[in-house]
Amino acid sequence: MDTTLTRNFCIIAHVDHGKTTLSDRLLEYTHTVSQREMTAQHLDAMDLERERGITIKMHPVAMVYRAADGKRYKLNLTDTPGHVDFSYEVSRSLAACEGALLLIDAAQGVEAQTVANAHLAFAQGLKIIPVINKIDLPSANLELCMRQLEDILTIPAEEAILASGKSGIGIAEILEAVVKRIPPPRWTDYPATRVLVFDSKYDSYRGVISYARVFSGTIKAGDMIMLMSSGQKSEVKEVGAFHPAMAKGKELGPGDVGYIVINIKSTEDIKIGDTITHANRPAKEMLPGYKDVHPMVFCGLYPLEASDYEKLKVALGKLRLNDSALVYQAETSVALGFGFRCGFLGLLHMEIVQERIRREYGIEIISTYPSVVYRVKQHGAASVEVDNPVNMPDPATIEEIQEPTIRASIHIPNTYLGDMLNLVMEKRGVCEHTDTLDATRVMLTCLLPLNEILVDFNDRLKSITRGYGSMDYELGDYRASDLVKMDILVNGDPVDAFASIVHRSKAETQGRALCEKLAEIIPPQMFKIAVQAAIGAKVIARDNVREMRKDVTAKCYGGDITRKRKLLDKQKEGKKKMKQIGRVSIPPDAFIQVLKTNH
Amino acid sequence: MVELPSGQAKAEPPLGVYFHVPFCASTCDFCAFYQTVPKGNAVARYLEGMEAEASLVEWGARRATTAFWGGGTPGLLQPAQLLRLGAVMLARDGGRPDEWTVELAPATVSPNRIAVLRELGVTRVSMGVQSFQPALLEALGRRHTPAQIYRAYDLLRAADFPSVNLDLIFALPGQDEEAWRADLAEAVRLRPDHLSTYCLTFEEDTALWIKLSQGRVRLDVEKEAVFYERTWDYLEAAGYAQYEISNFARSGHICRHNLNTWRMEEWIGLGPSAASQFGGWRGANPPDLSLWHEQIASGRRAQNDRVRLTPELLAADSIIFGLRMNAGVNVPALQACYPAAPWTEAVSCLRRLEDEGLLLLESGGQARLTKRGRLVADAVGVEMLEAFAATARDIP
Ligand SMILES: Nc1nc2c(ncn2[C@@H]2O[C@H](COP(=O)(O)OP(=O)(O)O)[C@@H](O)[C@H]2O)c(=O)[nH]1
Ligand code: SF4
Repeated sequence: MDTTLTRNFCIIAHVDHGKTTLSDRLLEYTHTVSQREMTAQHLDAMDLERERGITIKMHPVAMVYRAADGKRYKLNLTDTPGHVDFSYEVSRSLAACEGALLLIDAAQGVEAQTVANAHLAFAQGLKIIPVINKIDLPSANLELCMRQLEDILTIPAEEAILASGKSGIGIAEILEAVVKRIPPPRWTDYPATRVLVFDSKYDSYRGVISYARVFSGTIKAGDMIMLMSSGQKSEVKEVGAFHPAMAKGKELGPGDVGYIVINIKSTEDIKIGDTITHANRPAKEMLPGYKDVHPMVFCGLYPLEASDYEKLKVALGKLRLNDSALVYQAETSVALGFGFRCGFLGLLHMEIVQERIRREYGIEIISTYPSVVYRVKQHGAASVEVDNPVNMPDPATIEEIQEPTIRASIHIPNTYLGDMLNLVMEKRGVCEHTDTLDATRVMLTCLLPLNEILVDFNDRLKSITRGYGSMDYELGDYRASDLVKMDILVNGDPVDAFASIVHRSKAETQGRALCEKLAEIIPPQMFKIAVQAAIGAKVIARDNVREMRKDVTAKCYGGDITRKRKLLDKQKEGKKKMKQIGRVSIPPDAFIQVLKTNH
Repeated sequence: MVELPSGQAKAEPPLGVYFHVPFCASTCDFCAFYQTVPKGNAVARYLEGMEAEASLVEWGARRATTAFWGGGTPGLLQPAQLLRLGAVMLARDGGRPDEWTVELAPATVSPNRIAVLRELGVTRVSMGVQSFQPALLEALGRRHTPAQIYRAYDLLRAADFPSVNLDLIFALPGQDEEAWRADLAEAVRLRPDHLSTYCLTFEEDTALWIKLSQGRVRLDVEKEAVFYERTWDYLEAAGYAQYEISNFARSGHICRHNLNTWRMEEWIGLGPSAASQFGGWRGANPPDLSLWHEQIASGRRAQNDRVRLTPELLAADSIIFGLRMNAGVNVPALQACYPAAPWTEAVSCLRRLEDEGLLLLESGGQARLTKRGRLVADAVGVEMLEAFAATARDIP
């Protein structure tokens, strides 16, 4: 099969730099879809991803392009999720290509996500075609963009194509560059079939549909295949391409991008990055780059209405069908009732899942403080991974606790450099270097504990920089750190939902803040109730719940006694619905309020 | 400490009789009692209903040891109507109650009515003064003036009722501590035998409640607490000993009728909305004149919120309502009275309250709330209810 006329590429960009618009233009130019179809397709885009600054991941599209050399090329455009929480998934989508268009908004210049994505593309050995987009804008600064290309990304500026997705400038030039600069499909002559799975979707009619890139060999319906990561065998039910609608085909050959339906029930069974090969003529080596992804951030999710528990369970199950990176497990909390401990790839992934549960499934939920996964070395025992502070082993047995770190790339206007450095320091980070982006902006490369950016880092970054800063990060290694488990006690009894693992230097401040907030939100109590923060047996902060001043009926005579008795009974029943922390009855929403105000 | 008339000393068990007179000239803003403005022959029909209801009660050989006419405004009845109601009270042989209270609004106190009440044998008049300050009376939607209060009080004193009580209300919107102290001082100056001071209560379905929910008035728990404390101190110093959250008496003037209900003795309530605790049952009449007439006509009474008086219920209520009294309750005596109740939990609950400084457990087993405990008596009640876990079962 001739693969010299096939090109596989993707577009990488910071959000809003015009990826969607440009993709649409490419599809129009190659007559893949009419303009009318385009709009319809895009109206489907989820608001959520847009708001959160991730372009929604669309399925791949095959285009046919008649190039200047007179030949008809098959161009496969794959999409990437575009956020580093999903960097592994991004890397697998990139691995399905030989080249990438790197889009830069001419008015914004290089931003955090541009850098992160460019690095990922380099790492996959892709040919990068820089495109300076939106040159129609009066504020376009081409010179600056060119310089940033060279200085920050080390890409020769003369390679840049000037374009505008909106005005249709540079589209032909881009397509020519795709054909000329991006090499044809690689590794086609490997002596066995190897197909890369770079995404899967669950479809209620057809089951699991995997997006795949064939590197060598062919695959068709009826083939017995093997998933190389697990050795699991299965039969292919259907293969096809995207035109852009799914079109059933006879087979997929080397260099092709398309879809494969195999006989499995859940997206969990087919891992992103896995290699499909033939069961009876298997490849010896998998395609490079496969990794088992593990969730990095955990939190408890609880329905606000206990009766929504089943609904939440169903929602998580459905989300998981399309998102195998999401893990969850039932758990109960004294303070919050029945819920789930959920694991996410990162902060954004966590937010998206929570938001989708709220919006798409209409369930009100509350989340506990997020936690990272700690590695705990114990004396004379194997090291354990702890993703829930409640499971932290007895401090006496602990030799060392390690926490995950990140390497953050932070882009900010240079006037805010001082404040930003203070924030990084406050968050126990170190700034490795600063690079000047242009006359007004700098890029900081910082090493930070992942745990420190979980709660308010991004908000603080935005507020320090009046909204002009942006950050992206990649996971770094685990490092030993002086971490402790801090318990929050109400009247001497621990409240599980508020246990946290914190750096010793921060325990007191955080403990005090939490105690104050809880003491303020818990309604006045008849008994003196202390709220304490403690590390092991040592109390490091305390506050008192307000004492109930007056709760007495003025009039209570014969006629009132039935009424009064009913009222007291009602109050007693009401107390049963409250959360009992030892002797103290606390309205369920008190904890929720504290969790809310702290997020 | 206040001396308590002992109920046990007599062979005759106390029996209270309460008449609810459901008529008022207009509705006060804070009022949650069942009352209506009397129209047409409503009063005459009411009196017939009272006669009919009294005939439904299985009195046996029992006599009312105490009586209380409340409302509403019993004083709204004409002298002849009062006489007729009195006849219902005295219909059975066994004589007059030892203590017989009638509530009167200042505007209804007239020589004729007083004469009729004296003749019937009423021993005690309770007058709803509420405040001596025109602005506050106005704010409460009360239809009387300070001048009417003084005139009424003089008439009552001249008629030589053995006991006169004045009702006052505090923590009114717009009332500061000084204004309240002035009301207290004025009340004390008149030297009534008994004083009831009520913290303004926001009851559902009252005009005041509506104002509260509209944000036109504000609840201030701290202010209420402070007013309570000041009142207790002030009246104690003025010679009025507190014997219940809202009640104070000069020596010998404690209201026995109320004391008996707090001690979970028996009482029979007649009239719409009146509650009874009698013959092993507790229940109330419907708070509506026509529903009440219907029920009486069908030969039934006290059917609302009907519960059987189990030992658990009586034990819990004896403590809950008993602790509202300064004297408190005698735990061993109650234990002897209701041995089947879950006393272990109850006693450990009392001890916990003691640890927290809300209650005193004396060596004789007398349990009394401290000042701080009295201010949160409802929360204490709920705590006790939990200990007893004796929710009264509704009877189908
Ligand atoms: N002026 C101008 N605006 C553009 C151009 N391309 C996209 N936009 C606008 O930039 C915003 C983001 O574009 P979009 O394609 O959705 O970006 P994405 O987030 O990278 O997919 C939208 O408001 C577009 O209308 C362009 O070439 N010129
Ligand atoms: S006079 Fe008494 S019963 Fe009548 S409305 Fe006023 S407060 Fe209520």
